[in-house]
Amino acid sequence: MKTKVSNIKNVLRRSTGAGLLLIIVAALTLEATSLLQNYFSRKGLMEEAQLRAENLLETTRLQILDATHQAESAVRNSIWIAGWCLDYPDSLPVVVRRIVEDNPTVMGSTLALIPNYSRRLPWYSPYFCREGDSLVMKSLATAEYDYPSQEWFTKPLEQDSGVWSEPYIDTGGGEVLMTTYSVPIKDSKGRPAAVLTADISLNWLSMLASSELVYPNSFQVIATPGGQLLVLSTGYVKLTTVDELDSRMDDTANFDRLITAMRAGRSGNIPIRRNGENNQVFFAPVEELGWAMSIVIPDDEIYGDIRRVRWLERFFQLLGLGMLVLILRGLAKNQLRYQKVNEKKELMESELKIGRNIQMSMIPNIFPPFPERKDIDIAACLIPAKEVGGDLYDFYIRDEKLFFCIGDVSGKGVPASLVMAVTRSLFRTVSAHENSPQRIVMTMNDSMSDMNESNMFVTFFCGILNLATGHLRYCNAGHNPPLILSDRAVELDVKPNLPLGVMPKMSYQEQETDLDFGDTVFLYTDGLNEAENSAHEQFTLERAKAMLDQRRNAQDHLEEVRKAVNKFVGNAPQSDDLTMLLIHYMNDTSPMRSERHLILHNDIQQIPQLADFVETIAGEKNLDQSMAMSINLALEEAVTNVIEYAYPEGADGLVDIEAILREKTLDFIITDSGKPFDPTARPEVDTSASLNDRPIGGLGIHLVKRIMDSVSYRREDGKNILTMIKNI
Amino acid sequence: MEVNIYKQNKEVVAELVGRMDTPATQEFAPQLEALTKDAAGTIVLDCKNLTYISSSGLRIFLTLRKAAAEKGGRVVVRSIRDEIRSVFMMTGFLNLFDIE
Repeated sequence: MKTKVSNIKNVLRRSTGAGLLLIIVAALTLEATSLLQNYFSRKGLMEEAQLRAENLLETTRLQILDATHQAESAVRNSIWIAGWCLDYPDSLPVVVRRIVEDNPTVMGSTLALIPNYSRRLPWYSPYFCREGDSLVMKSLATAEYDYPSQEWFTKPLEQDSGVWSEPYIDTGGGEVLMTTYSVPIKDSKGRPAAVLTADISLNWLSMLASSELVYPNSFQVIATPGGQLLVLSTGYVKLTTVDELDSRMDDTANFDRLITAMRAGRSGNIPIRRNGENNQVFFAPVEELGWAMSIVIPDDEIYGDIRRVRWLERFFQLLGLGMLVLILRGLAKNQLRYQKVNEKKELMESELKIGRNIQMSMIPNIFPPFPERKDIDIAACLIPAKEVGGDLYDFYIRDEKLFFCIGDVSGKGVPASLVMAVTRSLFRTVSAHENSPQRIVMTMNDSMSDMNESNMFVTFFCGILNLATGHLRYCNAGHNPPLILSDRAVELDVKPNLPLGVMPKMSYQEQETDLDFGDTVFLYTDGLNEAENSAHEQFTLERAKAMLDQRRNAQDHLEEVRKAVNKFVGNAPQSDDLTMLLIHYMNDTSPMRSERHLILHNDIQQIPQLADFVETIAGEKNLDQSMAMSINLALEEAVTNVIEYAYPEGADGLVDIEAILREKTLDFIITDSGKPFDPTARPEVDTSASLNDRPIGGLGIHLVKRIMDSVSYRREDGKNILTMIKNI
Repeated sequence: MEVNIYKQNKEVVAELVGRMDTPATQEFAPQLEALTKDAAGTIVLDCKNLTYISSSGLRIFLTLRKAAAEKGGRVVVRSIRDEIRSVFMMTGFLNLFDIE
């Protein structure tokens, strides 16, 4: 048992180990695949982001160029007319107005005279700008504004060429981000006279940023040559400085690298860390303006999808692994269960084997069973279809009578075998006290019906053969009629009756017949006549009958039938238990066996007849005088007991003394019909007691017990039966 | 069965002859039990020709023996045959009687 437990543990450990390894390998494989996929996905997404960023940067650049180009064109185209109009200053506003009117991208425009260029108009700067749908004219020649000191005014004059101003926020006409293109105007003599400008709004740049919704949290930064930064996000444009942005960076080194690269007019991408988040910055120059544009995209947005996919992937991975674990557990359990079932099966098989041995040891299985007897020869066999079966037979000799039975429990296997065991025990118990087959059968039926909750019944045949006379009394309970093999095999006349266990208090009819010397009683269960071959043909009783004759001894006889059945059945599985019991009754021709009979009245004066009776027996068996006297004494004591105690005083009664003389034993059976009296139950006499303690009586039965080798009493059919056996 | 009772050298001798079975014992019981009056002296049971004895005979022996024990006499069993000796042995009588 211990080894079995450790076996189970081993299997469990082994399968758990293998399972764990499998799960780990599976998990690693899945993770590796996922990592690889992740890597390529990231790469792909990064490339896509780069492509998008470059497109956006290029679009923005083109838009800016387009806008600036328009403004530049508008201004340049007016240079000549403006120069010409210098001589007619009153017409200058018209020129300015035309610039704004004709160019929708131009938000405002002015022509500012160099102070004191015109004597009449020492400070002059008419300014047209859009306010809603209309054009408004303002004058910038105010002390407050001081246009001559403004960069848009000074720079073109200094450089003597068109100049774009740094972006600025114009508060004059609403919060508008602006940049201004200014060109110097020269008069006919080639002297610088004025500056002509065109303002363009940069607010539309934010529209460009917002048009790119793939990365909603991305924004653009444009760096101008003046060190200003334009931050363009969805819906707004903001002006800031490098220093301000720098303070928000978690990773200033990369930011510095970025600014340096942008200022150098390079393009590319650099990651920066900002507000605790990683971002990719793609940048490219707008060479025409000396600007550098960049777009900042949070990693979260670039890889957002893949992150989501990765979580999903993780989830499915775990799900898959979980299922794998479940499957493995199921497998391990199954294997364990299988092993357990196997062990159980082995256990059951071995128990069945033991059961079979027990069952076989319940019935007489040594043949010939009575080798010393010359009057009876018995052979029997019981072949269960399964390990254990529901057939039974039994026989034994008591008082020179052969008690025998055969039975077939309904059903097969273990349940039937249990009923079989009960039936056999009942037969032994009941028949020990009964001399009538009918009473045996009825008593058995009552007790089996009472406890028959599983509704199993037994077909049963019980017989008692008087070996001295050949008289056979029998009682059937639904069993197949036995065959009597005389000159030929004939079925015994048998009343069917109900099987045992069907209904209590049933009456069963007893029958009787006489056997002649040489007759054989052949009992069988339906496993014989119903034995089937593979073609489902039955052996039939006719075949059995044809085989049975009486020329052999019982063993050979039975063996012959058995072989015939085996041959007939062939390879077909045995369909039912097969049981046969063959009883061969013979004339005991041996000179060693004889019987003597003496019947006495209950008169003490008849006691001396015992002496003659014993003398005859002693003469016949050549017993010495001492032995004869002992036997005489025992008989006298037993008979005296009967005469003195069995019958009421004065009543007439008989004492039957039967002696069976055998080769090695003398059996004496003393029977009377008096009141129940068991002489063997009297207390033992203490023969070593002192004189005073010795009672006068009680010596008789003491002598019987001392002289005889076996003394037994039983009460039966209203009779006291004392059986005494003396070995000789 | 025959029983001869006589006196010899102050001893009362009962010579038992033949088979002392139950009916015989019944027949001679009065004679034998009468010997208890001599139980103060010596009672000799001569068994030289006693061929058989049953328990009823043994009872008479025991009755005499008990009377002798009571009165200070003795009971001698004389010339016992082997068959009878074996019966004495089986019943423990060998220890109760003086066997000569």
